[in-house]
Amino acid sequence: MEDLGSDSGVQSQPDKGKGTADDEDGATQDYGDTYDFDDDDEFFGMDDSGFEPVVSSRDQRKPWEVEYHVHDAHGLHDKQEAMINRLVPVLSVSKDITTILLRNSQWKEESLVERYLSDPDKTIRDAGMFPNAPAPELKTGNEDFTCEICYCDGPEEVYLGLGCGHAFCTDCYVTYLTGKVLEGMSWRIRCPGAKCKALVGEQAARLLLANEPKILERYEDNLTRSFVNDLDSFTWCPAPNCEYGIECHVPKSAWATIVPTVHCRCGKAFCFGCNMDDHMPAPCFLVEKWLQKCKDDSETSNWLKANTKECTKCKATIEKNGGCNHMTCRKCAHEFCWVCMGPWTEHQQAYYQCNRYNEDSSKNARDSISKSRALLERYLHYYSRFSNHERSAKLARRLLTTTETNMEQMQRNSSMSWIEVQFLSAAVDMLSACRATLKWSYVLAYYMESDNQKLIFENNQSDLEMATETLNELVENPVHERTIEEAKRLIIDKTQYVKTRWETLLRDTAQGLQENRWKFQD
Amino acid sequence: MSTPTRRRLMRDFKRLQSDPPGGISGAPCPDNIMVWNAVIFGPADTPFEDGTFKLVLTFDETYPNKPPTVRFASKMFHPNVYANGELCLDILQNRWSPTYDVAAILTSIQSLLHDPNPNSPANAEAASLYRENRKEYVRRVRETVESSWE
Repeated sequence: MEDLGSDSGVQSQPDKGKGTADDEDGATQDYGDTYDFDDDDEFFGMDDSGFEPVVSSRDQRKPWEVEYHVHDAHGLHDKQEAMINRLVPVLSVSKDITTILLRNSQWKEESLVERYLSDPDKTIRDAGMFPNAPAPELKTGNEDFTCEICYCDGPEEVYLGLGCGHAFCTDCYVTYLTGKVLEGMSWRIRCPGAKCKALVGEQAARLLLANEPKILERYEDNLTRSFVNDLDSFTWCPAPNCEYGIECHVPKSAWATIVPTVHCRCGKAFCFGCNMDDHMPAPCFLVEKWLQKCKDDSETSNWLKANTKECTKCKATIEKNGGCNHMTCRKCAHEFCWVCMGPWTEHQQAYYQCNRYNEDSSKNARDSISKSRALLERYLHYYSRFSNHERSAKLARRLLTTTETNMEQMQRNSSMSWIEVQFLSAAVDMLSACRATLKWSYVLAYYMESDNQKLIFENNQSDLEMATETLNELVENPVHERTIEEAKRLIIDKTQYVKTRWETLLRDTAQGLQENRWKFQD
Repeated sequence: MSTPTRRRLMRDFKRLQSDPPGGISGAPCPDNIMVWNAVIFGPADTPFEDGTFKLVLTFDETYPNKPPTVRFASKMFHPNVYANGELCLDILQNRWSPTYDVAAILTSIQSLLHDPNPNSPANAEAASLYRENRKEYVRRVRETVESSWE
């Protein structure tokens, strides 16, 4: 007999949130790009050519969708330029200084303008620039010049100095800048002078790096990188090698009631709030809680449930690894029967057989165990469904490959064209989206307190689940005892129905979160 | 072979000889300009007074854009000096400026001797004695001063 702490056993983290990595569900994909600033102009520019802009259903945001924009490197650069150019006339200082002021204040225009207007000189100096300093330029022909880094001197040296008065030859400056840029720095690079707080500034940096195109490119890259990192309303797409930045203005305070799912142009759907894969309909804080819980508990709990019982008196977790049914708890010395869990004192001489299952005392003992196990059961109920949908989502992606074969086969076996068999891949896309949503819906359900509102939610959930399973079966085996035309009609119908159920669930949860319809427990 | 780093180190050496700051001396190894031996004399009116502390400075081709590695060759008892002689000094790390030369490094270390920073201790014992038992701290420092003469 062994006494096991509840933290013993194997712990592992369930493969978290891979369900939607590559989902490109038809319902939202087309909407991904349309909110782009850059594209908007072109879109409305079509007026000239005689086309009316079509206000279609895709332009009306669904309740669970948030507004966002996908920017490429150019777009991000233009965005910075626009913010800077807008502020130059307001502050009426050079663009170089305005840029630094904006970057230094994390692009918070309002507080910057306020600070600036109360004390312009101090604001500029605090940011590491100099009011009224002439624009940086390369100088030469100065008898008195000595570079403080390499000590070269004389009128033939070309050098640059900032408003702080420190001047260095261009060779030393470029070497210095190159080192800093390769470390990932950009506008925060300071004058090389000892303890000098002056910033080199973008104008000076571009002047110095004019003959180093690679380094200059890296410098501009770093600038954009810091722009996206400094702003709360921007984030990078977390997909590997994806270089798009996402702009979304749903404030942090709203992440508890809105799931800010965004779709990058690369196809990745992720949460703007926590950068995890799309986890609609569960809000970020529940997702975080759930994943932590799974990390702590899941495998351990599974093992405990399968292999152990609890001492009816002290609740110590016990694994029976041999011997007879007469148990003595190591922790509290309570003697009981492993089979009926009743106290051993009532067993008399029946060492090897327990036929007392219905006796009151053993019933009470089992009751007390079942209470503490009930919590575990509850967790496992939701966890098994959560992980089941996660697995199914992975299978759905594999299904996509077989579907492609099926589609080719259909084209050969019938008169259908490539376009006409697209319904199959549309169905698989829909399946993937539903799997992801179902998976996270169990997390939402786990934390919901039981009431009538939860019942409504669970009805929606089960409707979607059933519809999804039916569609899954159809897609896996489309022409089983059916003609291709029949299968096509069935699948198209079912896909449409699933889509309706899916949208109903998302709409209902999005609205419910907004209205605080559910109470959440720990 | 002449590189910007070597030329700069020659200039550092000339400066150190022509205008030596008080209480420090240093020179490159005769066969390798990238390794310097230096001595800091313990500042007067501090527990380090009369000590002659030897240091080794190792430069690479990134100097002066990157700081050299500096370590004490003499035994030290100081809150900001590690047991192996390496030291924790801001200008030798993130506050480095390429305008610092050998003279500036050595004078900074000299001032660190009588003005330790017990908040970022490299030697926890020295730091706690410096804060809580100054008498014992001084005694331990004097031991290293005496051993520095050997």
